[in-house]
Amino acid sequence: MRTTARLLTGTALTVLTLGALAAPPAYADNHERADTTERTENQDRGENHERTDNHQGGDKKERLEIFPTTAAPGERITVNTTACGSGGHGIGDAQSLGAGDFQLSQGAHKEIVVGHFTVPHHAKPGTYSIAVACDNGRTAKGNLEIRHHHQGPSGHVRTGIGGSVGPDSTQIAAGVALLAAAAVGGTWLLRRRASGAQGR
Amino acid sequence: MSTKSKAWGIAAAACLGIWLVENGSEPVTPPVPSAAEAFAAGPEQHTDAAADPLPPSAPVRLRIPKIGVDTPVMRLGLAPDRSLQVPPAGDSNLAGWYKDGTPPGAKGTAIVAGHVDNAKGPAVFYALGTLKKGQRVEVDRADGRTAVFTIDAVEVYENDAFPDRKVYGQADRAELRVITCGGGFTKKSGYQGNVVAFAHLIGVR
Repeated sequence: MRTTARLLTGTALTVLTLGALAAPPAYADNHERADTTERTENQDRGENHERTDNHQGGDKKERLEIFPTTAAPGERITVNTTACGSGGHGIGDAQSLGAGDFQLSQGAHKEIVVGHFTVPHHAKPGTYSIAVACDNGRTAKGNLEIRHHHQGPSGHVRTGIGGSVGPDSTQIAAGVALLAAAAVGGTWLLRRRASGAQGR
Repeated sequence: MSTKSKAWGIAAAACLGIWLVENGSEPVTPPVPSAAEAFAAGPEQHTDAAADPLPPSAPVRLRIPKIGVDTPVMRLGLAPDRSLQVPPAGDSNLAGWYKDGTPPGAKGTAIVAGHVDNAKGPAVFYALGTLKKGQRVEVDRADGRTAVFTIDAVEVYENDAFPDRKVYGQADRAELRVITCGGGFTKKSGYQGNVVAFAHLIGVR
């Protein structure tokens, strides 16, 4: 029984994730609507009603609150949502970062379900999508950013100003000396020629 | 006849002079490692076996005898953009160690950086790019021990292609990185890259 339920929610999540990936942001709402039409009308109505309550900053998806929103490997993450309804239950999917599934159940507030998972130590830096499928058929999504806090420095090091970069002054000095000698020699030669011509 | 040959001599001297001035005006940049010193040129580790790592202890002095480096070592943190801070540029003989990372000689990757030059001219790691595989780096530590490293490779990287993991990534043995600026230089954007010497611990004195 349990395995079947798990399988079903897993499939639902996959479908949802695929839909979300395939749909450009502008059509995301349409997709969710298509999703919901497969469910009973009652649930659909309920969702629409809740949705208007949840309109925050024009975001039409069910929101999944994730704490902290930026975490390092090994950190424990808490997620919560109102999508599952009062006294609801849901299954979260953190497979994108290799943390598997986790359960969400009613927390301190009746209308909010809460769940936890731990960021695996092998998780690479990046943004990961966390999804929750509620028993009432609704879903919520949110993003978690993984950063390696204790990774140490990053990027190149500014260890130079350029004071050693410059012309080769010895070579220039030698060149200038040669040019000066040539000028003196040339002048002397010309003068001698000039005076020789006059003497003739 | 002799006047003619004298004239030719003067003309030749003038040409040589012009060439010297022109050639000398080309900016001279700090040495960069040759391809032979890169990892790609040969086996990553050569014959010098890795020594057992030491317990952590902060570095106080660093020497690279082959290029005449003998410098005190200060502590460095991270800049807001997470890049490694650098020692004050005014001191031309000062290296810095990333204090929140591995100390030289301990298991992991110890990071040391120093200037290639400052406003006055060459600085502590000017000749880093001339180091060869197998040459030694010695680090005196606060616990009185000296960690002796051997160079595994010396590579140069463009600033926007700096391999974080390769340089800063943790190692299973005691390793050391010595970093300075290098590569091309433009007045507008400064040095175009970093020279990085990779080394591992081979002994303790």
